[in-house]
This record gives sequence, structure tokens and C-alpha cells, in this order.
Amino acid sequence: MINPTHDSADVTRELFQDFSAVGIVLFYILGFIALGIFAWGCYLQIRKYRQGVADGSWADLLRRFRDLCLTMLTHRTLRRRDAAAGRAHAAIFFGFVLLFIGTSLIFIDYDILGPLGLSFWHGEFYLLFQLTLDLAGLALIIGLVYMMVRRGWIKPPKLDYRRPDREPGEPDADRSAYRIEDWAFLWALIIIGVTGFLLNGSRKLWLIEDPLVWDYRWWTPVGTSIAYALSGLGLSSEGAGVLRTATWWFHGVLALAFVAAIPFTKVKHIFTAGGSLMLRDPLAAQRLPKLPEEGEDAGYGRITDFSRKHLLHLDACTKCGRCHEACPANASGLPLSPRDLVLTLREFAHDNLEGKPKHADELIVHGDGVHQIRAETLWACRTCMACVEICPVAIEHVPIIVQMRRWLVEQGEMDPMLQGTLQKIQKRGNSFGEAKRKRGKWADELDFPVKDARKEPVDFLWFVGDYASFDPRNQSVTRDFARILHHAEVDFGILYDAEQNAGNDVRRVGEEGLYEMLAEGNVATLEDVEFERLVTTDPHSLNTIRNEYPQFGGQYLIYHYTSLLKQLIEEGRLHFQRTLNYRVTYHDPCHLGRFNRGFDAPRYVMQALGLDLVEMDRSGENSFCCGAGGGRIWMADPPGKEKPSENRMHEAARIEGLEVFVVACPKDLTMFEDALKTSGYEGQFVVRELNELVAEALALDGQATEAA
Amino acid sequence: MKILVPVKQAALVEDDFELRDDGRDVDPDFVDLQLNEWDDYSLEAALQLKEANDGIEVVAVTVGDDDTEDALRTCLAKGADRAIRIWDDVIADADPLVIARVLAAVAQREAPDLVLAGTQSSDLGFSATGVAMAAFMGWPHAAVVVALDYAPGAATAIVERELEGGLRERLEVDCPAVLTIQLGINTPRYASLRGIKQARSIPIEELSPDELGLEDQDIGEQARGSRVREMYLPDKGQAEMIEGTPAEQAARIAAIVKEVMGG
Repeated sequence: MINPTHDSADVTRELFQDFSAVGIVLFYILGFIALGIFAWGCYLQIRKYRQGVADGSWADLLRRFRDLCLTMLTHRTLRRRDAAAGRAHAAIFFGFVLLFIGTSLIFIDYDILGPLGLSFWHGEFYLLFQLTLDLAGLALIIGLVYMMVRRGWIKPPKLDYRRPDREPGEPDADRSAYRIEDWAFLWALIIIGVTGFLLNGSRKLWLIEDPLVWDYRWWTPVGTSIAYALSGLGLSSEGAGVLRTATWWFHGVLALAFVAAIPFTKVKHIFTAGGSLMLRDPLAAQRLPKLPEEGEDAGYGRITDFSRKHLLHLDACTKCGRCHEACPANASGLPLSPRDLVLTLREFAHDNLEGKPKHADELIVHGDGVHQIRAETLWACRTCMACVEICPVAIEHVPIIVQMRRWLVEQGEMDPMLQGTLQKIQKRGNSFGEAKRKRGKWADELDFPVKDARKEPVDFLWFVGDYASFDPRNQSVTRDFARILHHAEVDFGILYDAEQNAGNDVRRVGEEGLYEMLAEGNVATLEDVEFERLVTTDPHSLNTIRNEYPQFGGQYLIYHYTSLLKQLIEEGRLHFQRTLNYRVTYHDPCHLGRFNRGFDAPRYVMQALGLDLVEMDRSGENSFCCGAGGGRIWMADPPGKEKPSENRMHEAARIEGLEVFVVACPKDLTMFEDALKTSGYEGQFVVRELNELVAEALALDGQATEAA
Repeated sequence: MKILVPVKQAALVEDDFELRDDGRDVDPDFVDLQLNEWDDYSLEAALQLKEANDGIEVVAVTVGDDDTEDALRTCLAKGADRAIRIWDDVIADADPLVIARVLAAVAQREAPDLVLAGTQSSDLGFSATGVAMAAFMGWPHAAVVVALDYAPGAATAIVERELEGGLRERLEVDCPAVLTIQLGINTPRYASLRGIKQARSIPIEELSPDELGLEDQDIGEQARGSRVREMYLPDKGQAEMIEGTPAEQAARIAAIVKEVMGG
């Protein structure tokens, strides 16, 4: 690598070559000013976050740091559903990181180790360093060019910043400042990159006579190509020297300005996105936080009620639009986009927490004012977790929305229909307002008794849930599941009158007091019952019992029925009489799939039945909510807009020869049977619960005759 | 200023209920209790006045036993400042006249500037208590109020009343007055369970009729203007639930139409 006639220590780059002392001092002054502005900006941001409420997000820091590094190195969250953007970001990211490390090494060598006589930046290391940084710069520019093409020509809709929560012309509807910032960011970085190469090339040409430079020119292939190009354009060595000095200052000052701008612009995502990923809670939406015992106010009313972590989340958003695209409320034209919620709150926090302290009344984030969140926006959410799932920087939209709903509930502000349902649950423990004694009535029509688990021990305690207990259409599915269990000789029982609504959706509505009452009541009931494990057909009950009841002292092993069916099939306990050859598609319930990763069991069961499963585009973790979650099943959707469930029916109808749309959740059955009619596909295909298909294959009595 | 809001813990009867052994009421086993729907609206009207003006005290009052405390807790959770409960066993099964007499005595003691009652109760529906209360106090009243315009301290309130045929009457009422509030005048707020729990720390003032200067003859059996003799379900009318598939239902409807129309 090194020519034997050269001393390895001489193969390096002389910093500030031919600079006057004044020039060097000036540069250092500029450097310190830039760092000073950077530090001040960081202070402002940290002061802002510290006005939030401290929480326990910092536990288990080492594992979190390892996860963060893994996520950043693999870019796994950025590649999802937008592979090209993920690759381009990787090019920019790794290019930038390498260039940053390179610059830092030069600083360490020149300003710290050099004066101590420990310089390492020369010889073979220097040559490899040159090559690495040259390629890093190339990667950076290629990535940036793609991003420019994407914004300028491809123009994906998710980047258009159209707000569903504001009408055009409202004072805060306009997001064009963001667009300017996006372009300024891209141009600034690309100019820094390009001038870096120009600087390298002009320096090469300027020092063409110096063998310590010119002999090693191909260790910077891009920079040297530029030197040849400049020479080809007729630039002399002296001219290149002048160009080098001019470019040096331009490049240097721009880079310092960029550093100074980091805390004040979207560039800060370098830190905030990393911080957010490091504080990632894998159960953020599945296990909502309890309210503190004391304290007058509940939830997020003022921006200072937000946890520090959630304030950081507001700044971590890079406006990539993945949540905007995935959100069923946004897709239905409702006034909610998770992205805009986060950005609006970000602006609110910026306006009110970075300057002089404001009066408490000015810190309320709810309302119709500029950068305030409207109640209709919060109530549009179905807490389906599509946004949380796809966010590449681990923002917790759903917990933020539920915390804000808690405050609205405390103020008594909510849809009258929802009020009625919550009052029914308060009075009677179920959302149908039915008498408690009617909860087990569905079992009367069976030709075998269902054990009362309060009176005798059972292996499986079946937590039935409201919809499966009271909704007439679902009762028939409930009976099918009972017949399947009976057929497989599973020892099971139910709680009859003692079961109450599990509370999953009550909690997601934001009525935490009522949720506590339900959870504590159910846990107390379960304490008095002898059973080995729980099973439910309701993914909502499954989620809260599995993930949230431990907050109330209830630790249970709970199965979704699809897992139990899978196990029974594996054990050979289901004796199928018929093979079903239907062409079907399957809708992953949010609370079973995304929330509890129950993707495989239902598919295993369908395969065992002989069904021809054709997946929809949006399936598995990208399943599209039926629209019932987060308490929305207790509120009316606005007329004249396509409901999420109808949107889903159109998607399913595109499958050629589809016969059955299979669901594995009581609420899904209700939502999609309605949507099948309203979207005009009645007669074309049917909606059926997986239990009905299993019962049909087992040739059990009482299977749904109309669909067979 | 002060607004008095008389409220009732009303009965919510289950679909399949049984009657009490004496046949004069529903068996309490089949009844849930909740704040009378109309009182939700009268309380909300009072709270909205309170929020729009400084210095208004909202006092909720009920006549009932221990079980009716929940209604007052709900009022306190929503924002009432104080709550009063009056009870004596002699009031059990009282008619609206007796209740109105007790409430009038409370009003005498509290000296409110306005009484906002519900137009009727959702269980018994006499629509009499508020009006009778005004009569006992010699105050003006307006019933079935669907809009209210009142400034604290004003000599009159402008109210709108709902008449038959969609007609509205705008009325000027001298204050103090008793107004009975109709559903729909506002959108009542929700009382969260947390709020109701927190309201448990606010003491409820408990008074006996005696302390209000009422004698047994004012509120006892002999003071009632009416007595319930019997409650019963009339024989089923000519309603029939048509079941089956849409096609079967349509066929059955066609058959009925033919039968009735004689076609």
C-alpha cells in the first residue's frame, strides 16, 4: 500500500494547509459558536421534555440500548412497507454516521492525541480511512438523491401532509413550512456532501505535484474523479488551490451551521428517534398504564401531564406517513391521522414549553384553537394499534390518545350513545344493559349442561364476554364452540351471572374508573373459582386479561379459542367428518393478531379443515381494523362515509371466487355481516366465524344452516 | 346565588320482572336504580349556569332512603356543590304531593334563587312534583322548559316551552321560580366512576322531615292525595313478532296484510 520510499507517517493530510493563523483562529471561533448554539438548543429541548411527568421508562437500559443498536443497524423498522425508502435511509444513515465518525477521529487525532505525540491518522490506516469516507460520501449522496426523487416526482400520498382534522383555510391547517424544511434538509445535506467531494478533488489537483498526495489518489476514487474532471475543464493547479480554499470555507461553515441547526429542526430526529426507540415499550398499546392512586386529574389534559417519554415521542416523528396510511379512521375520512395528532401536539409543546413559563390554563391541549386537539379527533380512534405497529421510531399514539380520552371522560365530554353504554356497564356489568342473570342463557339451547365453574372445578374456564353472551347472532357461534369443546371432551365451565364485561374497550374509551371496577370485580370472581386455565372466543377479553389483569393481581394463562382448537387438532381430539373446500380469506382481529401475535393458530385450523385460504393484501400485522375497537362499536359512525368494515369488504371482494370471509372475533362477525350488506356483496360471499366452519366439518348439530 | 336541583333515584325495571307481593309495585329484585333521566338535564342546566357565571352554588336534593345516595353522588361528581337527603320511613310509597311538600320545606330553608326540576320521572311519570312544589311555595313556575335564558340576580327568566304540534312558547317568568326541564335542553355530561368515587369524600347533609318543621300529618299516609291500588300488565295486544328468514318474514307479512285487508 505504502510506497517504500515514503515514510508512513508522512502519508496523511495536512490540516489547515497554507492557512493563516487568523483563518485557523476564525474557524475555531466559528466552531465554538456552532457548538454553543447546538448546546443551547439541546438545553431548550431537554428543558421542554423535563416539564413532562417522569415515568419508569428508563428501566433495563442495557437491553434497550442493545435493541436500539440492532434496530438502527438492521434498519428493520424503516424497511417495512417502504423498502426503497428504507434502503435510501440506510445509505444516508450509514454515510452520515461514517462521515461523522471520520470527522471525530480527525478531531481526536489533531486536537488531542497529536499534541501528545500519539497521532494515528497516517499510513495504511489513513488510506483505508480515505476510501471508507469517500464511499460513505457517495452513499450519502445517492440516498439523498433518491429521497429528492421520491419527494419531487414519485410523491407518495402519505407525504402530502393533507390534514383530515382541519379544513383548508383554518389557521393551523397549512403544513407547507414542513415541506420547506424537508427540502432545506435534503439540500443542505447534499450540498455538504457534494462540496466535500469538490474540496477533495480541488485539493488533489492543487497538490498534483506532491507524490504523498497524488500517488495515493485512487484511495478516494470519487474525489479523484472530480480532480480529473476539473482538470479536464481546464482548471490549473493554482486555480484549483483557490477553489480549494473557497470550497473549504463554504463546506466548513455550512457543516457547522448544520450542526448548530440540529436541535431546532427536523435534523434532531437523529437524537429523538434514537431516544424514542431506546424507550420502546413492546406492550405499549396492549397494556395501558394505570392511573396514579392520588391526584385530582386523570389522563392528559395539559401538555405538562404528558410523560417525558411521550413528549420526546412528539419530537421523534419524522412525518414518514406510515401511520397515516395504516389508520382506519383516516381511511374512512374521519378527522384523525395519527401523524397529524403527533405533529399538532409537537407544535403545541414547542409553542408552550420552550419559551417563558405559561399559565396552567394555556397548557390545555384540548380544544378548537391553534395546535389544540379536538375531541372528535380523539373519539375517531379505534385503538387498533396499526399506527403503533408500523411506526419506525416507536411512537405510542394509542396510549397518548387513551390518556387524552381519560381527561375528556373526567370532564364528562363524550358521545351520548357512549354515555348510555357506559352507564349500562356501570349498572349491569355488560354493554347490552341486560340483566346479569341472563348472561348464561345462551347455554339453555344446548343438549348438554355447561358446568357452572363457581360450583365445581374445571380445567378450562371459559370467559365468554359480552358479545358472545348476549348478541343473538354470536350466541349461535358461542353454542358451536361449546359443542366443539363437548365433542373434544374438554372439561370446561363458565361463570354465568358472575362474569362481567372484561373491560378492554372500557379502558380504551378512557373510562379508567369503570375499568378498574370491572377488572377488580372479575379478578375477585376468578380468585374464588377452581380452574387451570382460561379460554375465550373474544380477542378483546383475551388482551386485557392476559396483559392488563396482572396490574390488578390477576395472573392467568389464557388461550384464544383458535390456539385451543389448534392444540385439540394436534392431539387428534377433533374428528372431522367433512373436508371443506371453500375458497376463503381470513381477517386477523386486531386484538388477536397485532396485539397478541396470534397469527398462526387460526391459519393452522383453516388448513386442517381443508379450506383454500387466499390472503388479502392487508393481513397479519397489517390487518385492517373492522372499526369496532376502542369503544367505537358503542358509537355511531357518521353517515355518508365509507366505514372501515366496508373498505375491508371491497378488499375481500377482489379475491376471485371468494366464498367465505372468515373471522375469529365476535365483534368482527357483527361488523362484517353488516358491512357485507351495506357494501352490496350479499349473495356473493358470506361472513362466518371460524367456530362455525369447525362445527360444520365436525358435522355437529346446530351449525349455521343459512351459510352451509 | 343559589340553584336548587331536586333529583330522584328512579327505578329501571328489567325486561322480565315480577311484582311485589302486595301487587302495588315491582319486586325490588328486578329493579336497578339510576338518576332520573330528566334530572340529568335539569342538573346540567344548573351546572352550565354555574360555569358561565361566578358565584353560583348548585345544591342537589333528594327525598329517599340510603339507596338513593347514589343519585346525589352522581350529582356531586358532575359538579354540584352540596347535596341534601331527607328521609323518614313514614315517607315510603309517598305520592308526589308529599314529596313536593318536603322539597318546598327544603327550599324554604335554602332560599334558592331558582329551582330546576325535571319535567317528570322516568319510572312513575306523574309530572307533578316540581309543579306542586311551586304551588306550595307560592312561586311562579314553568313546565316542559326546552330553553332557558337567565342571568344571576335578574328579576325574570326567559324560558321556552314545548307545546303540542311543535309550537313553542317564549315566556317571561318572575324569579324566584320553579322550572321543570325537558329532555334535550342540553347535552348532559358523563359522571365518570372516578368522579363518583371522589365525590364520596363530600359529605351529604341528611335531614329528617322533623328538622324541616314538618309534622307527620304533613307527610304521612293522610297527607297523600292519591294511593296506588295495583300495578299489573294488561293483556297482550295484537302484536306478533315475525321470525324466520327475510323470505319467510315477507310471506308472513303478506299473509297478514291479506287477512286484514280482506284481499
